[in-house]
Amino acid sequence: MSLLEVKGLTVRFGGLVALDGVDVALGEGETLGVIGPNGSGKTTLFNTLTGLYAAAAGEVLFLGQRLSGLETHAIARRGIARTFQSSRLCLELSVFDNILIGMHAHRRTGLLDSLLRRDRLRSEMSQAIERAAHLLSLFNPALPRRGLERVGQLPQIDRRRVEICRALASQPRLVLLDEPSAGMSPEETAQLMKDLQIVREEMPGLSVMVIEHDMFVIEGVSQRVVALSYGRKIAEGSFAAVSARDEVREAYLGGEAARA
Amino acid sequence: MLLVWLAEAVVFALIVAGILAERPLALAAAGVAIVVAGALLRFVAPLRSALVCAFALHPTAALLGGAALALVLPLALRSSPYWTFVATLALLYVTIGQGLNLQIGTAGVINLAGAAFAGLGGYSVGLLTVGAGWPSWLAVAAAPWVAVAVGALLFVPILKTRGHYLALVTIAFVFIFNILMNNLEFTGGPQGIKNIPTLRLGGYAFTARPTLGVVELPAHANFYYAALATAFLATGILRRLHDSWLGLALNTLRDDEIAARCCGVSIAREKLIAFSIGNFFIGLGGALYAVMVGFVSPPDFDFGYSLIMLSVIIIGGVDSIGGVVLGACLLVPLPERFRFLHEYRLLLYGLVIVVMLLFRPRGLWPAGIRRYR
Amino acid sequence: MPPLELLLQQTLNGVMLGVMYALIAVGFTLFFGVLDVIHFSHGDIFMLGAFVGLSTLLGLAVVGLRTPLLALPPAFAVAVLVTGLVGVGAERVCVKPLARSSPLMTLLATLSLGLVLRESVLIFYPRGADPKPFPQLLPAGGFEVGGVAVRYENLTILAIGFAAMIGVDLVIRRTRMGAAIRAVAQDPEAAQMMGVNLDRTVDATFFLGSGLAAVAGMLSGFYYGEIHFIMGITGGVIGFSAAAIGGLGNVYGAIVGGLLFGVLQTTAAALIPRGSEFRDVVAFAVVMLFLIFKPSGILGEKSVERV
Ligand SMILES: Nc1ncnc2c1ncn2[C@@H]1O[C@H](COP(=O)(O)OP(=O)(O)O)[C@@H](O)[C@H]1O
Ligand SMILES: [Mg+2]
Repeated sequence: MSLLEVKGLTVRFGGLVALDGVDVALGEGETLGVIGPNGSGKTTLFNTLTGLYAAAAGEVLFLGQRLSGLETHAIARRGIARTFQSSRLCLELSVFDNILIGMHAHRRTGLLDSLLRRDRLRSEMSQAIERAAHLLSLFNPALPRRGLERVGQLPQIDRRRVEICRALASQPRLVLLDEPSAGMSPEETAQLMKDLQIVREEMPGLSVMVIEHDMFVIEGVSQRVVALSYGRKIAEGSFAAVSARDEVREAYLGGEAARA
Repeated sequence: MLLVWLAEAVVFALIVAGILAERPLALAAAGVAIVVAGALLRFVAPLRSALVCAFALHPTAALLGGAALALVLPLALRSSPYWTFVATLALLYVTIGQGLNLQIGTAGVINLAGAAFAGLGGYSVGLLTVGAGWPSWLAVAAAPWVAVAVGALLFVPILKTRGHYLALVTIAFVFIFNILMNNLEFTGGPQGIKNIPTLRLGGYAFTARPTLGVVELPAHANFYYAALATAFLATGILRRLHDSWLGLALNTLRDDEIAARCCGVSIAREKLIAFSIGNFFIGLGGALYAVMVGFVSPPDFDFGYSLIMLSVIIIGGVDSIGGVVLGACLLVPLPERFRFLHEYRLLLYGLVIVVMLLFRPRGLWPAGIRRYR
Repeated sequence: MPPLELLLQQTLNGVMLGVMYALIAVGFTLFFGVLDVIHFSHGDIFMLGAFVGLSTLLGLAVVGLRTPLLALPPAFAVAVLVTGLVGVGAERVCVKPLARSSPLMTLLATLSLGLVLRESVLIFYPRGADPKPFPQLLPAGGFEVGGVAVRYENLTILAIGFAAMIGVDLVIRRTRMGAAIRAVAQDPEAAQMMGVNLDRTVDATFFLGSGLAAVAGMLSGFYYGEIHFIMGITGGVIGFSAAAIGGLGNVYGAIVGGLLFGVLQTTAAALIPRGSEFRDVVAFAVVMLFLIFKPSGILGEKSVERV
């Protein structure tokens, strides 16, 4: 059974059709690349899956259950975590805090415990911090030591890593990565690709959808690719097959030409 | 550890000297001593780092020392009931400030209706005692819940509006509260409610002057201790909540609601919890104020007081628990000390806040990194 | 008086008040347009405008200029100029430097600046705590149509108010500076790339908005016959409310919002028992409902927050 099934998903903003009857399916442990020119609806797809945008038509099944109508936080608790195209970390908070918030849904101590049974909270928190440190160390062994610094003091690539750690911290079934290499240098992008492969190896059951413009990253990490253009799915299959399609090349060239 | 206590004792002595010095010469001496102490701390790096180190190493000792000194303050201020009153007021502002800080500083729920919620606490005490004949302690215990309950009127706007719009909603709320208090009959109109009976516990009236063996404490000492206990409790509770999942979730949604929602945080639940807990403590501060001064009237709870409550947080440090204590203990007594500046008090408040925001937006005691201790 | 005439009368009175509110609201909305901030001291700028106008009128009276035609134009000019400059100063000191930080910061800074302005008038204006009688220079008398009393004075206030609004509209739509203001409101970065001087445009916007507030301040002096240092608190809150009702950033919305608020106040005063005391409760409650259910304002469009 597939973990995620998207059927005929349509999203409109006023007159603009940002997604137009998109079907996508994703199996457990699978990595799906999402490509398409700017404005083709990739981020909109993620935003709709996470409940930030409402769909005009179509449905989303996750673990066989409909997600439509659920609030974003409820969807997150069912096991969909994500990162954002432009970073959404809390720069004033510590690195650990930024990852701990990912574990918020799994907390075991409530308000009264934090007031009256402080030792419970403390032990839960130190376990949580240990896990956060472990996640960080997967990507960069030096990062856990900076766990009590403010995120704003980290370099760009480490911030991206923190954001990915935050998404992983919630023990999701599905992670949505929105252009993880946006704004990175080629070396950093290569680093990031290694990071994504680490995630794949460490968490084999985890499903991943990744939006990327960098075709090397897409080719390196995804088993299957879907291509969007003007809100429509124009191709689906292996990277080699999809990138060879005329429609895809045209969409990209057309997109580039329109932007130039 | 001794260093910690020594430092605290010095600060205490300076404060008391600063407060009690009457004659110009003594006042000047106290002022010079305070300036010298400040300069030493500012410019002698080894001293500063030694102190910082000592306080970091012995937090419990520091807390105990501070508590002990707070307990003996009325003794030191024996000669001046007025200053005991001011100290009590500062402590009430600590309680109120902690509540407001949870809303504004931690959760980013801009509440400019602090005065209204304090007023709800105060008026509830007035109505329950004078109107319904309840004993004062029961009224004080019930009043904060009124503030929480009436706060539920703002639940929808809090969830639906943000930033400037929320500020406007809360300002409108303060105005409405004030107009109603001014014009409704059962709240006593512009005169307010007079003759609120004082607190009594087992027949012991709080207005009595307590004696410790041979020493007689000033008139407001009972209220001072009540306010001290409340402020202590409020600060402890709010510190624990701040360093917990709640504080973390609130900080995250304050900085980025969308990120918080995508991490599974229910914005509605967390915001309303924070808002209600905050109103509880603001209302509690207002209730204690009412039994202490014995009357409530509309001008005691107008928009201007919202601003003063706010400045406590800004001066101390937004989202900083220690900062609220510092802010209240500076902002309330200082203008009283400089009576000749009294006319300029609000002007100076305004200037200080603008300058702080421009040059030290994190306040005098900036919020630190959360450590879940 | 029969209810219909009462309603007409109250509507007319409401429009009178509304014109003043609208003039304040336009400032709020303009500032929000260019800097995305709420300038909370704007209410006190409005109060300051009234005091500058009063001082000028008193000064002119001393040198013998007492007739309306001779005294009013220079008084308005001085009030607009001085208040406009104070507004620009406020923006330079405390709005622009904080415009990039959180709304809480600008909110607090401008609230506090308002406090400073208010207290300064209280302390430094001679006997600043008392209400100050405002010279009555507008034509007295009036006439009645269909049971509705119309006073010349009110007509003059309406005329001046609408003239000021039309003036602003012309400035915004027809001048280069107006084009710059519109461009910055649309997209500051793009405007800068097109060669718009951001700092100058922001300054101009604050001059314009604050000048309008001064006009409103003087009109309010003529209308109520007196001015008081605390008038800026309610003036500011109502002006902001009006701008919010109309949709922040939208000049016409602000005008509609101001008129609506005024009419709301006066009709509430007429329709509910003890209305004159509780009219503001009704007005503010309506503002709250607006902010909750139509936060983008009357003329605003609903939009989905971009992620
Ligand atoms: N919140 C929104 N309001 C209006 N239009 C939007 C919104 N979000 C996205 N769009 C529009 O939807 C289209 C798809 O955008 P997006 O999904 O961000 O594209 P991309 O594939 O580059 O991620 C674009 O034309 C964009 O302008
Ligand atoms: Mg995108």
